[in-house]
Amino acid sequence: MRKRESGHAMIELAASAAVMLACIAGTFEFGYTFFVYNQLVTAVGNGAKYAATRPWSARDTEKTNTAIRNLIVFGEPEPAAGAQPVVAGFTPENVDINWTVEAGKPQAVAITIRNFTVNAVFAKFTFSGRPGVEFPYVGSAK
Amino acid sequence: MNSRRRGFVLIAMSIVMLLLLAVMGLAFDLGRVYIARNEAQIFTDAAAMAAASKLDHTPAGIAEARQAVARLPMRWNLGTRDFTGVVVEFSPDGVKWQGDPADASSIAMARVTAPNNVVEITFLRAVGGPASFTVPAHAVAASNPVRLVE
Repeated sequence: MRKRESGHAMIELAASAAVMLACIAGTFEFGYTFFVYNQLVTAVGNGAKYAATRPWSARDTEKTNTAIRNLIVFGEPEPAAGAQPVVAGFTPENVDINWTVEAGKPQAVAITIRNFTVNAVFAKFTFSGRPGVEFPYVGSAK
Repeated sequence: MNSRRRGFVLIAMSIVMLLLLAVMGLAFDLGRVYIARNEAQIFTDAAAMAAASKLDHTPAGIAEARQAVARLPMRWNLGTRDFTGVVVEFSPDGVKWQGDPADASSIAMARVTAPNNVVEITFLRAVGGPASFTVPAHAVAASNPVRLVE
């Protein structure tokens, strides 16, 4: 009788431990993914503000875009060699920059994240097209 | 004795699960709340800049400022929901704000408020948390901003 009882307890423990571990894994998964998403929202917002106020010229669009991408990914327009991205696995290629140019003057800049995968150990989430922001251009265009 | 011991694991587990639910709530719900807050703030920043950049001391400039805010494609709640009830106000000095200013010639600042961002709470409400959380945001911009130079 006693033995059967302790067996019961073991089965109960095993069943509830499985549920609990799943919950803990899920919590980590979503918690970490939301944390990374929030970092991306902040980074993209900061990058867009920088892009919206930075001097712009049609000739230097590539140079401008590189600086914006660096600011978003590394936190500064000209990062030192070996700089760490704001979130693991984030590269300048994940940042899409889209200028709306009318009559040679930029009107707005849209910045979106493209194909960025968050590795939350228990699952992977890929963000494409979000987070994304659009800012009006208010800087001085040459 | 035996019957007392039988329920122990279940009772202990249910207490632990309740605590776990609270932790899940913190991670999941607060995570979403922080993201929504951030998204709303960045939207209002962009909207205030868009509105202020259209101000030209004429009523037409004010109408255009409103349209510029309405045109912004930004969304919240992980980029899934449109901002609703966005309030655009104008001011000559940053002290007195009006939704529809009578004298457009002195208007130099715009303020945008996104008041209706209600995040529904999923887990935290099971352990006594609120059913929803509102994360309003507002931003002010002037029509003569400081610009960066190279």
